[in-house]
Amino acid sequence: MARAWEVNDLAPNARFRDAAGRIVLTRWREMMSYREGTLAGEDIEELHAMRVSSRRLRAAMDAFVDVFPARSFRRYLREVKRITDTLGDARDLDVAIDHLTVLLPDLEPIDRPGLEGLIDRYEQQRRAEDAQIHALFVRLDQEAFGARFEAWVATHTGIDVDQLQPGPSGSD
Amino acid sequence: MAKPRPVTGIDPARRVRPNARKILAARIDEVYEYDGLVANPANITDLHNMRIAFKRLRYLLEIFEAAFGAPFLDQVKSMQDLLGDIHDCDVQVPMLEAHLAWLERQEATSVERMLTGARRTHSPEDQSVALERFRSRLEAARRTDERPGIHTLIAMRRAQRIALYTQFTNAWRRLKHERFRQRLEHAVGIR
Repeated sequence: MARAWEVNDLAPNARFRDAAGRIVLTRWREMMSYREGTLAGEDIEELHAMRVSSRRLRAAMDAFVDVFPARSFRRYLREVKRITDTLGDARDLDVAIDHLTVLLPDLEPIDRPGLEGLIDRYEQQRRAEDAQIHALFVRLDQEAFGARFEAWVATHTGIDVDQLQPGPSGSD
Repeated sequence: MAKPRPVTGIDPARRVRPNARKILAARIDEVYEYDGLVANPANITDLHNMRIAFKRLRYLLEIFEAAFGAPFLDQVKSMQDLLGDIHDCDVQVPMLEAHLAWLERQEATSVERMLTGARRTHSPEDQSVALERFRSRLEAARRTDERPGIHTLIAMRRAQRIALYTQFTNAWRRLKHERFRQRLEHAVGIR
């Protein structure tokens, strides 16, 4: 599993609001760093890493719910949940296909057609998931979701993503 | 999935630690709410809810690592993983059963289509040749060869589920015996 990015300048005795901004924005950028790899679809680990990051982001938002206005929070959380769920459906199929493929050579010949048929069915479903993922990110782009999300977090926490500079290498 | 209980008294202007303690206390409570319920292996929903409760606790320990150093993270993660594996079995068995039903529907549709085609065709050829051709098409339309593998998978998942549940109950008993709750609460300053 991809390691979580370190959160820059997060002091142990930070204000709750300040920590919220730093952590949520870091998890957001961490998740989006896997976007191109996920859309390219060449390595299933990219999608897995993006999904794991999206769950970290969702958990961070849940932890800091009291920092944000309830109404707008619900709207943003719903969208983040949609990302997690869409990636989750595809990931579940990737895991199932991988598991069945590994299992296949160890099975008795009589059992193999069943698994091959199931793998085939899951692969068809997985291709359909790609279309869902693409459609989701096209819509998020059209709605400028990323910029709006970062501005919303900045407004309520005072943390600006450009100053925070989240990245995989920690506090550079 | 059980929703997390709202936590009252959070003040965003205060430091992380006092606020985080309130959230962590609520999420630890939620894990222990399922203590008695998961003693029954048939309580699938409670096992699933306990997994979610452990997952929330695990993420919180990671989120507040700078404040508390993420105590007992490995133990929490290992319980979440174990319950996750049990959940996978609980989800996969009905999915595989649904796949068997799907195979049956696919087969019925193919056979029906074939029979409709046969009724329309009035072949002048010898009856035995026509019967042989019908038989081979019928065999191709049926998907009986795919069923044994799915039944085997279902049996494997059921056996795995029994083994995982035993592993889980042992691990959970051990954690409680080691006073996991008290030690975790102490480590983050709840008590």
